[in-house]
Amino acid sequence: MTNKTILDIKNLYANAGDKEIIKGLNLTINEGEVHAIMGPNGGGKSTLANVLSGKPGYTPTSGSVTFKGKDLFSLDVEERANEGLFLLMQYPIEIEGVAFITFLKHALNAKRTYEGQKEIDMPSFMRLVRDEANRLFINSDMLKRAINAGFSGGEKKKMETLQMAILQPTLAILDEADSGLDIDALKIVSGGINNLRDGKRAFLIITHHQDLLEQIEPDFVHVFAGGRIVKSGDKNLALQLEAEGYADFIKGEKC
Amino acid sequence: MLKLPNDIIVKETDIPSLGALRQKGKAAFLSLPSLKDEAFKYTPVQNVLTDEMFQPSSCCNHFKECACEKNKLDFEAHCFFFCDGTLHEHFHLTEGMEALPLSEALKNHEAAGHINKFDATKHPFAALNLACLEQGLFLRIEKTPSKPIMFFYQAKQQGLKNIYNVILLEKGVSAEIVEIFEGQNEAYFTNVVNEIFVAKDASLKHYKLQNEGLSAAHIAFNRAEVKSNGCYESYVFQKGGKLSRHELEICLLQESASAFLNAAYKIKGDTLVDTTTNIAHLKPFTTSEQTIKGVIDENARGVFQGKICVAKNAVHTKGYQLHKALLLSDGASVDVKPELEIFADDVKCSHGATCGDLSKDELFYLRSRGICENKAREMLTNAFLKTVFEDISNPNIKNLFENF
Ligand SMILES: Nc1ncnc2c1ncn2[C@@H]1O[C@H](COP(=O)(O)OP(=O)(O)OP(=O)(O)O)[C@@H](O)[C@H]1O
Ligand SMILES: [Mg+2]
Repeated sequence: MTNKTILDIKNLYANAGDKEIIKGLNLTINEGEVHAIMGPNGGGKSTLANVLSGKPGYTPTSGSVTFKGKDLFSLDVEERANEGLFLLMQYPIEIEGVAFITFLKHALNAKRTYEGQKEIDMPSFMRLVRDEANRLFINSDMLKRAINAGFSGGEKKKMETLQMAILQPTLAILDEADSGLDIDALKIVSGGINNLRDGKRAFLIITHHQDLLEQIEPDFVHVFAGGRIVKSGDKNLALQLEAEGYADFIKGEKC
Repeated sequence: MLKLPNDIIVKETDIPSLGALRQKGKAAFLSLPSLKDEAFKYTPVQNVLTDEMFQPSSCCNHFKECACEKNKLDFEAHCFFFCDGTLHEHFHLTEGMEALPLSEALKNHEAAGHINKFDATKHPFAALNLACLEQGLFLRIEKTPSKPIMFFYQAKQQGLKNIYNVILLEKGVSAEIVEIFEGQNEAYFTNVVNEIFVAKDASLKHYKLQNEGLSAAHIAFNRAEVKSNGCYESYVFQKGGKLSRHELEICLLQESASAFLNAAYKIKGDTLVDTTTNIAHLKPFTTSEQTIKGVIDENARGVFQGKICVAKNAVHTKGYQLHKALLLSDGASVDVKPELEIFADDVKCSHGATCGDLSKDELFYLRSRGICENKAREMLTNAFLKTVFEDISNPNIKNLFENF
């Protein structure tokens, strides 16, 4: 039995600002699969993540993307999220004045309402958040602050991982979840990711480091350069990249 | 519409000081200000004020309903009610306070010596208020009260609500006064003056929540004289009215006197909210800080005019002023006019103004977590305003602001 397709990208071209960055990308992600994307700086990995999540300023120009059978680009940013798309951002922003807990409760309830469930009550929600926070070694003090306010780079990634754990996405796009993490935090965050692997949920993991992939063991590794995937393989490809760099793959790709 | 002094009918009275104040007010009222008047150049009062708004409000008969407002409070307070401009006279007071209807106080009291300590020709609406003087409260606070003092203003009918309050804080007293203005969608005009005296070492926290009816005009002239080491601290949140103006004039009369204004407004439709301040640093070591934040949507307009004057000998003075506006639509606008007049050396004064839309990145972040755009915008505008009320020390009062 083949797994259901969650994300299907066909011959996608997209701009960041008015510059064409994604140039003919194809990628299919099925239920339960973990895909890793590696590639040189400025290759367009974050651009891809932004295009998929619908960030203003990132516009698809041709090709198609189907998410859970629906035309992704016909959905609003919030609809994509409520359908189960989650983007862990490379540079999570700080939002002063918006309490993290209040925000996360709104986010979860938005999803529940979208799915036709009733809203979660405060005590159940707090229990849920505390349990997940404990697993990620996030202390209750950190939960009381405004969104990412004053957090270190590594702490922000943990807080983002916590959001992912609460929102339980169908497809999680992790844009350098591992950057800025110390050795322990890397274990905690990758543990958080592994906890969410249930054979159904799919992951698209953007990273520069073999360390994270060692913990997560992706099913596929893709080399992303010049706006598209130039090589795909299994987890051994990551090892090869670590040893040899991208030089062989980007020959002729960079103009 | 009443435009010229001749249009004002000064009522007869057998209280000489009241009669004198009315005549003085009439003489000081030259005409309703137009856009040519510097102090009103962004605030077209004549476009909003109509004949009905100057009709006397018929005598009020809803004191009972008004008094119910008190039951909505979940904390203890001393309450005063103004229903359609008329002071409800049956108030009970205990602890260290003297409260009288102003006209009563003017009979044989030194109240007359505490009224109109400013040049009314420069404040046409205060002049008008004096000319129509009738309603208002004289409040002398002799000992620090154990609970906040609330002023509820309710407007249910059209017409003029002309109110003049005199508030005296005696030496070393700390008090909290909360004003709440509410009204129905009627053509009325709230014209209120608060003349405040903060004695040595005294401290007043003056709070105001303004949610007038959407056809109403609201002009409030607040004036405080602060003596040595005294402090006037105020928190203002305005969101109602068709046109409203909160004017604050502070005289830091003696050394180490200070004044703080934290104001916010959140408006839409074609509402105009004007915040006008004039802080006079008359002596050394005086401090003032003003932070005003506005959220302006649809075709609404914000106005801020902020003046800081530092007198010649007022060295070691600090004066700080900041206005920040969020413009949420193309039709929204704001006019800001800061003025610094500094005649002393060795002072620290600054002013700043910013103006912008909500951050696109913040909006995207919230939406990318499934929160719909409207909710996301609301969360961000509330976050923007929230900091204005962060420092309110009384949690009950803070609650009023956060749930306003
Ligand atoms: N909003 C934007 N406007 C204009 N150019 C942009 C914008 N966002 C990204 N770019 C450009 O697109 C290119 C790809 O950037 P992107 O962030 O997608 O790279 P990346 O592969 O994620 O790199 P890194 O590994 O350093 O994170 C870069 O040249 C970048 O400057
Ligand atoms: Mg990137």
